[in-house]
Amino acid sequence: MHETAIAQSIIDTVMTHADKAGAKHVDKVEIEIGELTFLGIDQIRFWIENQIAGTVAEKAEWIFHSVPGGIRCPACQYEGDIKTAETEDHFRLPVFACPECGQANIEITQGRDAWIKAIHVEID
Amino acid sequence: MKTILTGDGRTLSITPQTGFFKQNTALAMENKKIFTDAGIIAVDILGSVGAGKTTLAGALVAYLKGQKRLAAIAGDLTTEIDAQRIRAQGAEVLQINTDKGCHLDANMIKNAMDCLNLSNLDIVLIENVGNLICPSGYQLGAHHRMVVISVTEGPYQVVKHPHIFQDVSVVVINKIDLADVMEVDPQKLIADIHTIRPGIPVILTNGRTGQGIAELATALKLDK
Repeated sequence: MHETAIAQSIIDTVMTHADKAGAKHVDKVEIEIGELTFLGIDQIRFWIENQIAGTVAEKAEWIFHSVPGGIRCPACQYEGDIKTAETEDHFRLPVFACPECGQANIEITQGRDAWIKAIHVEID
Repeated sequence: MKTILTGDGRTLSITPQTGFFKQNTALAMENKKIFTDAGIIAVDILGSVGAGKTTLAGALVAYLKGQKRLAAIAGDLTTEIDAQRIRAQGAEVLQINTDKGCHLDANMIKNAMDCLNLSNLDIVLIENVGNLICPSGYQLGAHHRMVVISVTEGPYQVVKHPHIFQDVSVVVINKIDLADVMEVDPQKLIADIHTIRPGIPVILTNGRTGQGIAELATALKLDK
């Protein structure tokens, strides 16, 4: 259900910046979504497309990039992606531990947020 | 934020880059500092509806009240049932009603903290809204997050909700007395938890009898 709120925040941010820039059209919006958020990209797209008819962003292209989860290990200083494990039931599970030294008390450094990377507007 | 005018002078690229969760995370860090400065350990209790979060919070209060000064913040959509149940065990309890909200956020905790006399407390237990998904995305400023699952939720609860375990320090498997009748193998649940978070403490409890509560208090460093 957070997709509706995030979609509304995206629209509000895009409209504010488009208005401030005196945009005639919004061409393209690039959005980054962390994989450790609980946000579904298809749902955000659906809610945005529901709301933008009749606005300067009506014909915009909405591009979503998925940002992988990143961790840092305070013990061995590993910094990089979260690994996954396949279980006997063929579930793929994220492993929130250091892939180098096995330490479970890791710091999550990336993937818990979502933001607008760029709004491309036409001003003339 | 940067704004770049392209070569043809007709298009602008605006880069706001402000994270949608940034404000909540920043506020959570402020809450954590306030708790720490007051000498308080705060615990965020996560779990499904009916996993036993309230019973365990009450059991922790009953176990620790002789030696520690405790308060609880109970999150629920509409009722004050949780607050009454924990209060009955001997702690000051604030109820946050989220109305339709599926998780607590850092601002709700900030407001609740303003209503507590923090200088008179050692421990604050925060019972989140019953949900294994959304609360994980919203940090509150607690020192520990603990997830409660129970054997009555079946054998697949861990593998179906791996992300709730991403930043927890302790996992509880509750209603352990019902494992046989539910035909759930606690060792399999522990193995699943340890696939996602190798080596993390997993405590087996029966919130009604108090089984495992002393071990849980130690795992959360509440009894020191």
